[in-house]
Formats: sequence, structure tokens, C-alpha cells
Amino acid sequence: MNDNNHFFSRETWTALGFLLPLAGFVVIFILVPVLGTLTDSFFLDVTYRPRRYLGADNFIWLASDPEFGRALRFTLLFVLVSVPLEVILGLIIALVLNERLPLRGLIRAAVLVPWAIPAVVSGRIFELIYNYSYGAANYLLTTLHLTPEPVNWLGSEIGAFLALVAADSWKTTPFAAIILLAGLSAIPDDLYRQAKVDRADFIQRFFKITLPLLKPVLIVVLLFRTIEALRVFDLIFVLTGGGPGGATTSVSLFGYSYFSAGDFGYGSAASVILFIMAFGLSLGLIKLGRVEQGLMP
Amino acid sequence: MNEDAVKRPIILAAAAVTILFCLAPFGYMVLTGFSRYPDFFSPDTPWIVTLSNYRTVMASESLHFTAFLRNSIIISAASAVISVFFASLAAYAITRLSLPGKLFFMFLILSLSMFPPVSLVGYLFKLMTALGWINTYPALILPYVAWTLPLSLWILVSYFSQIPRDLDRAGLVDGCSRMQILIKIIFPLAAPGIFATLLLAFIFAFNEFLFALLLTTDHAARTIPVGIALFEGLHGQIPWGEIMAAATLATMPVVVLALIFQRRIIQGLTRGAVKE
Repeated sequence: MNDNNHFFSRETWTALGFLLPLAGFVVIFILVPVLGTLTDSFFLDVTYRPRRYLGADNFIWLASDPEFGRALRFTLLFVLVSVPLEVILGLIIALVLNERLPLRGLIRAAVLVPWAIPAVVSGRIFELIYNYSYGAANYLLTTLHLTPEPVNWLGSEIGAFLALVAADSWKTTPFAAIILLAGLSAIPDDLYRQAKVDRADFIQRFFKITLPLLKPVLIVVLLFRTIEALRVFDLIFVLTGGGPGGATTSVSLFGYSYFSAGDFGYGSAASVILFIMAFGLSLGLIKLGRVEQGLMP
Repeated sequence: MNEDAVKRPIILAAAAVTILFCLAPFGYMVLTGFSRYPDFFSPDTPWIVTLSNYRTVMASESLHFTAFLRNSIIISAASAVISVFFASLAAYAITRLSLPGKLFFMFLILSLSMFPPVSLVGYLFKLMTALGWINTYPALILPYVAWTLPLSLWILVSYFSQIPRDLDRAGLVDGCSRMQILIKIIFPLAAPGIFATLLLAFIFAFNEFLFALLLTTDHAARTIPVGIALFEGLHGQIPWGEIMAAATLATMPVVVLALIFQRRIIQGLTRGAVKE
């Protein structure tokens, strides 16, 4: 086939045609809404009231809104505690699953279960687990005499926070484990065999071979998990409803509560802060991956 | 070897703990759904197995549970099919046609999926209200298609790029159009990958909550996650047995799919994240 210019340009036109439906959907239902939210954040936009340009007022109000400050602090703390916990647990599970095991297929299937179920359902399950009088958590704690009396998990700030972290880890650790397992199985066995010949012990092999070679995959997992943890909504909506007293309200829940009350300007401003944070953090993580590994294209 | 003798029991114990960690809360949900009393494990409470929770959830008119389930399945299936079809068109163009800036395009699409859903949902609500589509299937299907497209695109690109390009050339020589090549040659060869992508897109749409919460108002379009989240029962006290029965039913479609097609799902999920 002769690749003259005419042929090439026709092919490019076909390619653009093939991209068009995808691009159209993404522009209309993601890009335009994001830009719309950005625009709304500069307006007073409340249902049944005339829309009015406010400049940066929404953001100025956010900066001095203690409720928003608390939502921001909670969200960052949630990311800082839950993401490392999930990635470390996921790495341990991946290391275990990477060994020769009986019923390996069954174990992998079990790991998929928490990942596959809706976050709302896991919220409901943990709501029952932490229930003061019926819940499994208090039953275990009191029968094993770990606590003298039942713990009011969802009624205290620290209890609700820990409950959320535990429930979130249950739901999302499997995803980290699955991706990390794929990364582990891509590491050539020869490296480990050679290391054994050189009498490197398990710990040395982990830090000298596994961890450096797994780093790109670790960064991808950290990136995905951070982005998802920043937007945490479903689990909190069901498990704590943002309480007690607003202590576990995430930025997503904060924004949603304004949208559902018909205040689109202020809710949009809070959402804009969240997507700037998500964008900044992902950029930072990608840069970390590129600078140290030269890996990301 | 000595090291293995130490390591082996630890590995097996860790595997057992992993299974327990993953399945215990799930099993707790299933058992509670079949129990008369939610604290069935306590010695003070008799454990009475019952189907009445399921009967209430399935039969009660006012709970609308079967309507939620039907809405969820239709909306998720439609979103997955549309998303995977459009993503495979784009993946075909990216993997086998001459096109400048492919990589840039791929990353642009990926970066769009980094926006938190809450930063879209307010505007989508106003858009759907203006169109009069609130509480209809399109109000959810259209955003779900867009929302699953980046994921579908990335997975399909990795599958399509493994199919030899000679096949396309042979197709062109035989006078096939690009669309015919995609449908007659690529689709059959990439069937496992397309199927994995369909499953993932279905599961993502099925589990989505925030859009469904704000863009639907009642059982005409409300999906299962919203139904479960807002389930307060018909009487005063929280009906844990009924909630867990409903949760079990809601979970079944995705869990069954995940277990049957475990290998494909794991393969699909790890494409793109891990370079081979």
C-alpha cells in the first residue's frame, strides 16, 4: 500500500470520526459540567432567586466558614490515614497471594468481593457492625473483655472516624492488592533466584528487588486511591451521615448538602476547591513517579 | 530450605486471615438477611432462620425494591454497552490509524476522570432539570457513559494493540471499510477484552451513588444503591434484617459476575495500571 499524503489525511479523518462520539460524550457530560461548576462558583445561584455575579465572594465566605474548614481538615486527615493503611495492607495481601497457595483461584475470588459490592452496601454492613446494641463489633469487644462496656462507635468523633477508616479499608484494600499483585507477578523470578544464590534473606530481597521494581505500580495505586479517597462520599453518607455534629463531613458531602438545598453557587465553590486539590495531588504524585523512575510517558 | 519452613506457615495463616477479612462482613450481611433478630450471634438471642425479610423486601409495594433493581440493571447495562462501543471506536482509531497527538489525547481523557463527581453533579442537576429529564433513565445513562468512557478506552487500547496490524491491511485489500474491519475482524479477536470491559463498566455504573441520589426522585428511575441508602423500613425501628436482605439482593448481580468472571475482571483492571 503506498502511503502518499492523500491516503494519510483520509485515514486521519476516519480516525477523528471514530473519536468523535467518545469526545462528544466526555465534553458534554464531564468537561462542560466542570466548567459550569467553575462558573457557578462565582455566582449567587440559589433556586427561586435571581442569579447574581459575586466575584470571589463564595471563596471568601468558604475561607471563613468553620464548617468548611472542618470538612477540609477531615477530608485530608481521612486521605492521610486511610490511603497509606490501604496500600500497605494491599501490599501484604498481594505478597501473600503471589506465593504458591492451595485454592489460589478461590482466594482471589474472595478478594474481589469487597471491591465488587456497592460502597453504599458496605456502609450499611458496617453501620450494623458498629451498632451500639446489636452490632458485631461491640459483641466481640465485650465478650473478649477488650472493653469493659460497649463502645459508642458512631456517637463519638474519634469512633466515627476510625469506623469510617476501617469500613473504607475493607472496601478498597482489595483493589490495591489486585493491582499490586499484577505488578509483583511482572517481576522476573530470575532476580529472586539470583538473590537467593547470593544469600540475600527475605527482608533484603524485599527492599532490594521487590520494592524498587514495584515502585511505578505503587505510585499508580497511590494516585488512584488518593483521588478516590479525596472524593469520599457514599460511605460517609450512609455510615455517619457526616456526624456526629458534622465531625465526619467530607468536602464532597459538604458540597452535596448545598446542592440538595438548592444553593448551587456555594456548593460549586466548595467543589472547585476539591478538584483543585485532586488535581494538585495527582500532579504531585505523577511528578514523583517521573522524576524518580523516568517512567510515566 | 530452612527459610521456607518458617515462611510457609506464616503465608498460609496470612492467606486464611485475608479470606476472613474479605468475607466476614459479607457473610454477616447474608446471615442477618436470613435471621429474625439482627443480634443472632449473641447467646441471649435465639437464632431463628427466616425468609420473611426477603418476602417483605420483594413483595412490599411501598418499598419499590424490585423497581429499583430493574432500573439499576437496565441503566447499567445500557451505559456499559454504549460506553464500550464508543470506547472501542476510539481505541481502534488510537491503536491502528495515523493520528497526531494520540498519547496526549489518552492522558487528556484520563485526567478528566480525576474530577471528583461532586464537581459535576450540581451542573448536571441543573442541565437535567432544564431538559426535563430528572428522574428518567437518560439522566443517569448519559453521565454514566461519559464517566466510564476513560476507563473503557484505556483497557480497550491495551487489548487492541495486541492484535496484529497485518489483519487490518488484509481487510483493506479485500475492500472492507474501517468500520467493517473493526466489527468483523477486531471485535471477534478482542472479544475477551471487550467482555471484561463491559463487565467493569457495568459494575461501575451499577455501584454509582451520588449522581443517582441527586438526579432521581422516586422509583421511576431510582437505582438500588440509593434505595439501600435511603431504606428506613416501614415501621419505626431500623429493620436490619430487611435492610440486609435488600443489600444481599442488590449485591448479588455484581458479586456473581465478579466471581464467575474473576480472571477476566482482574485482567481488565490491571491493564493500563501495569505495563507488561
